[in-house]
Amino acid sequence: MSTSAALAPERWRLSHLAVDVRLFFFVAVAYYIGAEIAFLVGTLSDRIFAPFWPPNVVLFCALLVADRRQWWLCILAALPAHVLAELRVGMGALQIIVAFITNCAVAIANAYLIVKYLREPPWFSTLTKASLYVLITGLIVPSVCAFGGAFVQVAGGGSMGHYLLYWTQWYASNAIGTLTLGSVALLWLQERRLGPPVWRDAEAIFMALSLVAVCAVAFELSTTRIAGVFVPTLLYLPLPLILWSAVRRGVRGACEAVLIVTLVLVWRSLNGPGLFATQDAETNVFALQLFLLSLSAPMLLLGAAIDETHQTARAARDSEARMSFAAASANVGLWEYYPASARFWATDHCRALFGLLPDAILTRDALLQAVLPEDRRAAADAIRTAAHPHGATEHEFRVGAADGSVRWIHAHGHVQQDANDVSMRISGVFTDVTARKASEAEAELQRTELAHLTRVSVMGELSGALAHELNQPLTAILLNAQAARLMLQQADPCMDEIRQAIDDIVEEDTRAGEVISRLRRLLTKGPPKTEALDLNDVVRSALRLLRRELINRRVRLDLRLTDDTPMIHGDSVQLQQVFLNLMMNAIEAMTASAGAERTIIVATQVADGGIVKLSVADRGHGIAPEHQSVVLQPFFSTKPLGLGLGLSICSTIIRSHLGELVITNNADIGATATVTLPLQQATRGMSQ
Amino acid sequence: MNDTCTIFVVDDDAAVLKSMGRILRAANVEARTFQSPVDFLANHDPDIPGCVLLDVAMPALDGLQLQNELSEHGIDRPIIFITGQGDIPTSVRAMKAGAVDFLTKPVKAEHLLNAITRALERDAQIRHEREVRGSIEARLKHLTPREREVLSHVIAGRLNKQIAGDLGTVEKTIKVHRGRMMSKMGVRTVADLVRIAAQAGIGPTL
Repeated sequence: MSTSAALAPERWRLSHLAVDVRLFFFVAVAYYIGAEIAFLVGTLSDRIFAPFWPPNVVLFCALLVADRRQWWLCILAALPAHVLAELRVGMGALQIIVAFITNCAVAIANAYLIVKYLREPPWFSTLTKASLYVLITGLIVPSVCAFGGAFVQVAGGGSMGHYLLYWTQWYASNAIGTLTLGSVALLWLQERRLGPPVWRDAEAIFMALSLVAVCAVAFELSTTRIAGVFVPTLLYLPLPLILWSAVRRGVRGACEAVLIVTLVLVWRSLNGPGLFATQDAETNVFALQLFLLSLSAPMLLLGAAIDETHQTARAARDSEARMSFAAASANVGLWEYYPASARFWATDHCRALFGLLPDAILTRDALLQAVLPEDRRAAADAIRTAAHPHGATEHEFRVGAADGSVRWIHAHGHVQQDANDVSMRISGVFTDVTARKASEAEAELQRTELAHLTRVSVMGELSGALAHELNQPLTAILLNAQAARLMLQQADPCMDEIRQAIDDIVEEDTRAGEVISRLRRLLTKGPPKTEALDLNDVVRSALRLLRRELINRRVRLDLRLTDDTPMIHGDSVQLQQVFLNLMMNAIEAMTASAGAERTIIVATQVADGGIVKLSVADRGHGIAPEHQSVVLQPFFSTKPLGLGLGLSICSTIIRSHLGELVITNNADIGATATVTLPLQQATRGMSQ
Repeated sequence: MNDTCTIFVVDDDAAVLKSMGRILRAANVEARTFQSPVDFLANHDPDIPGCVLLDVAMPALDGLQLQNELSEHGIDRPIIFITGQGDIPTSVRAMKAGAVDFLTKPVKAEHLLNAITRALERDAQIRHEREVRGSIEARLKHLTPREREVLSHVIAGRLNKQIAGDLGTVEKTIKVHRGRMMSKMGVRTVADLVRIAAQAGIGPTL
């Protein structure tokens, strides 16, 4: 551990040294080769000035690739290569020094400004970056440095009178170098390709060969006598291939194509008659350079623009794919609708949501057609939402699948409006809420079941009293019938008395029937009905079932029903259930109370604010303080065998009637349950 | 049935009350109906022979409470209970307190009338016993203290000589007292005297 820690900095320094050495040799060799290529491609007659000078580009690229603190190494590496190359062509010492200084200056300035403003590769990913590159390396830096560069010729014995010419030559040579070779070199250096598609490389090679061929043909033709007026046409011959390359391969294709044209043109122009061979060598080269500058800069920008467009499109496509995938994963369908053009767009997942075939065409009408006829209007509303220019809508509708199953779809839409109201669009999501709907229905069913169950259990508690309630009319019927028979057996039967007995039988039978039908209503399991009800009637009807229980349990009832008509909206059976439950609890609470205390006060009242109140006050043991907060909770019970559902169900029922159930202890003794319900609006005038 | 008897019917249910009154009248029994026990107590004449037909479960005052109330006032009118729910503890309590019968609604006329017949018989018997005891007690009141002493000795089976010894007098005097006592009590034999003394609740002096 300690040895390796001690060795680590040593090794690090060694590896750094190795990197530095490698960089040094690489830059030196590349610089030298670049100079050799320049000489190979061609120089002017003095063999010193090269219209196309790669070494500066090599240094510039090396500086961009290297770390800032390695720059001196790069410059140091360039020096021997520069001296060696220039000595080979017989350049003087002063010239060599001036040339080296200006070469370094242009490379450093380029690298510095590029790093400062473009920051990091990729250098040509956007049109802005490409424009900056052209501006810096193609205009500002070479034009400024050319003021020094022009002295290279002067130092070589050139006349100061030609200073401007030298300036332009130096400027164009450096600008062309960074715009053509520099861009290609940087693109190659930044590229990290994994398993390249072969056909794309094949296409690039084919394009490069075609370009070389076309350029060669154009120059061959230009040397013949027929050239003359066709020169512009011949100059344009490579353009389609360059454009093709730019369109197909973006900035890289454009730069590579321009580099090929540059190399061929420079080489041909300097090594024989060609397109730019009409005047003296200097003018010819200058014309060639201007042509290359005017070709390379726009092509570089075009390629960058094409790349950026592709990238934006790809980003948009990726983003949409991600969004669609996320939406489909969440079982959500996305859609958009343009009312002005009636254009409709939806993600593929909408087909699955609406039970359409995978190859079905997604149109608004196709989706609406899948919706069940009775819900179609809601679905159309969800998509249209024309009534609310800036609103959001929520709709739910059912969709019938081909297999006969029905799915619930929730549509959420909101209007998006541009400043110029024309391109209004409505976008939204379709969500499959079948599971939620099913669980809601399930919960509703369970609530109904539970309400029924607790109702049955209250009836069970009351069974003795209810049997008695039936026994009474049965007793009267039996005795009346037997009395009538007895009277008929008498010698002189009193027909009037017999008739009365029979009338009583009929009446008592009706009474028994009412008890049974009241019971049946309470025991029936069915969905709640909503109707206008007089709360007093509800109370009176339930009290009929309780009368005997109150007698048996020796509980006195103090009934204080309001003279107003407390009309409410609700389900009679459920409200009776609540009242029965509250009464049973009150009776239960007074089991241990002394006889005189056993009183329940039942009161109804029409209160201010459109409220109807029903209260059941007992004089029993009340609610223990620690139970006060949980008395309405499910499964809370103080009875040994109680399920603890009675009051919880009551509370649920009252809430579904938009009311409230509150149970509080009385000031002196016992507790009071108060049900508050909204008074039915239409009948409020009837009270008083 | 006995025409002079009245059946007092107490039931809080008007229809049941009415039907009971009707069946009793059809059976030629005089019936008076009361819908509330309090009403019945206020208007009850214990001297009218008859029985009570009483519903067990009633508001304010139930049948068993009414039964207590009657016996506390020394009224031993026979009671037939009628109940909708014939639970055993209630019926046991009622029978222990002296109820004649315990019927369950709906009750058949035969059962009701049979029970009434039994109750009326019980009532007649009670009234007869009360009458007998009354006449014996009236005769006892005519005895002098000495004759009363002699009576208690006689029913203890003692001879005149023994009684005279106990009371510190002569046998002849005792004989006179005994003769007067026997004639005042309206009996000829000692056996008769022992029987009516038992009916009046007088025990022998030993």
